Amino acid sequence: MVDEVRDDLKYTDSHEWLRLEGKVAKVGITDHAQSQLTDIVFVELPEVGKEVKKGDELCVVESVKSVSELYAPISGKIANVNKSLEETPETINESPYDKGWLVEIEVTNKSEIDGLLDANSYKKII
Amino acid sequence: MVEKSHLNEIHKKLGARFTEFAGFEMPIQFSSIKDEHLTVRKSVGLFDVSHMSNVWITGEDAEKLISLTTVEDASKISDKKSQYTAILREDGTVIDDTIFMHLGEKFMMIPNAGMSETVTKWLNEKAEEYNVCATTENVSKDFVILAIQGPKSRETLQKLTDTDLKTVGFFGCQYIDIAGVNCIISHTGYTGELGFELNITPPKKAEDLFLKILDAGKEFGIKPIGLGARDTLRLEKGFILAGNEFKGGRTPLEAVMSWTINWDHDFIGKDALLKQKEKGDYQRLTSMICTEKGIPRPGCEIHKDGKKVGIVTSGTMSPCLNTGIAMGYVHPDYREKEFILDIIIRDKPVKAKVVRPPIVPKDWISQI
Repeated sequence: MVDEVRDDLKYTDSHEWLRLEGKVAKVGITDHAQSQLTDIVFVELPEVGKEVKKGDELCVVESVKSVSELYAPISGKIANVNKSLEETPETINESPYDKGWLVEIEVTNKSEIDGLLDANSYKKII
Repeated sequence: MVEKSHLNEIHKKLGARFTEFAGFEMPIQFSSIKDEHLTVRKSVGLFDVSHMSNVWITGEDAEKLISLTTVEDASKISDKKSQYTAILREDGTVIDDTIFMHLGEKFMMIPNAGMSETVTKWLNEKAEEYNVCATTENVSKDFVILAIQGPKSRETLQKLTDTDLKTVGFFGCQYIDIAGVNCIISHTGYTGELGFELNITPPKKAEDLFLKILDAGKEFGIKPIGLGARDTLRLEKGFILAGNEFKGGRTPLEAVMSWTINWDHDFIGKDALLKQKEKGDYQRLTSMICTEKGIPRPGCEIHKDGKKVGIVTSGTMSPCLNTGIAMGYVHPDYREKEFILDIIIRDKPVKAKVVRPPIVPKDWISQI
């Protein structure tokens, strides 16, 4: 099965995706990342209002056997988190780009997005 | 140099993902750990556990050598019986936990992955030192070990043999013909379910047998199982993983294996154990279930009232309970049943309750 890479998203080489919607960037992990992790069983989300810098640890995603940190693809303030994942972390496996989003970041510096990978560049690294 | 199982190509074809464990490249999972785990609990799964070691102990004093080097008095273990035991250093710490099988004149021992040379050398050295006429030979490379585990394991295997498997009692072992392949079967396992382990030589014969077992178990939904589920299955039952629970040097008293010790015979490490027993003030392996969200991992500290009272040696998300579970060494004052402890996960305390193993009870299936 080929991992889905969506054309309308930006990516990091650490397998986060980002979708800019106005001032807010929605962030999650890629289909490739979830399929590598398999069975996501626990998610630790940041607190709303927390300031993060690009590259900071953002969340922790755990499968049965592994613990993976997720890094902020962009700087800003945590505007919202996907609370439902605390009860049903497997949503990330089922819908990594839609229902399985992790956090929304209010972006402070939009130009940081230019440093991210587009779909074609991301496909090359997976 | 990483060793590969003789069944490596078959695993690849079955879609395995691999991991390195104790110098072996072995499947960590085929479908997913959770799915494989529940398949074994509910029906039947097939494991390649060739990373485990095979050692022959022969000679007129073979039994004596085992009694000297393990906590078991081997003279009490009759022919066609196997026994779980531990090999100790003089200071009482565990070199390895193992099962030995009494097969007529010979004994086969199954040390852990990566332990074949250490155990072989130790046993041969002790035979010489104590003037015991026995030889230990590492034959790990000549054997494939398969484990077939789960409530449907007997029915699956029965299709491939004329021997009535009900005559092979718990911890029984014997030579058997399975699908035309002569192997050593033992009614043992590492999952807490009904199960058998097969030792097959030469390894070439195991390829065909592996596929035949998968075929025989088709009607029960048999699946190949990786090391990921092997670890979660054993942890739910409170079974020790040598690399985790003996790390840093632990005695069988600390590991709560005193039930395996036969005190009525002399063995290497006995004096040290007697001293420790008398002192009494040592940490003991303790099972815990998280009552809050969080997954304990090896190395997490265990606290009570802000004070460190122990350390986690194994931890995971239990696929049966859907909560974090752990084993760790805790001071005796803090391990009474139902006692609430804090496991520190990423600097945050997560509450966990002390339980007596098995963490997941035998009748779990009837409770869901």
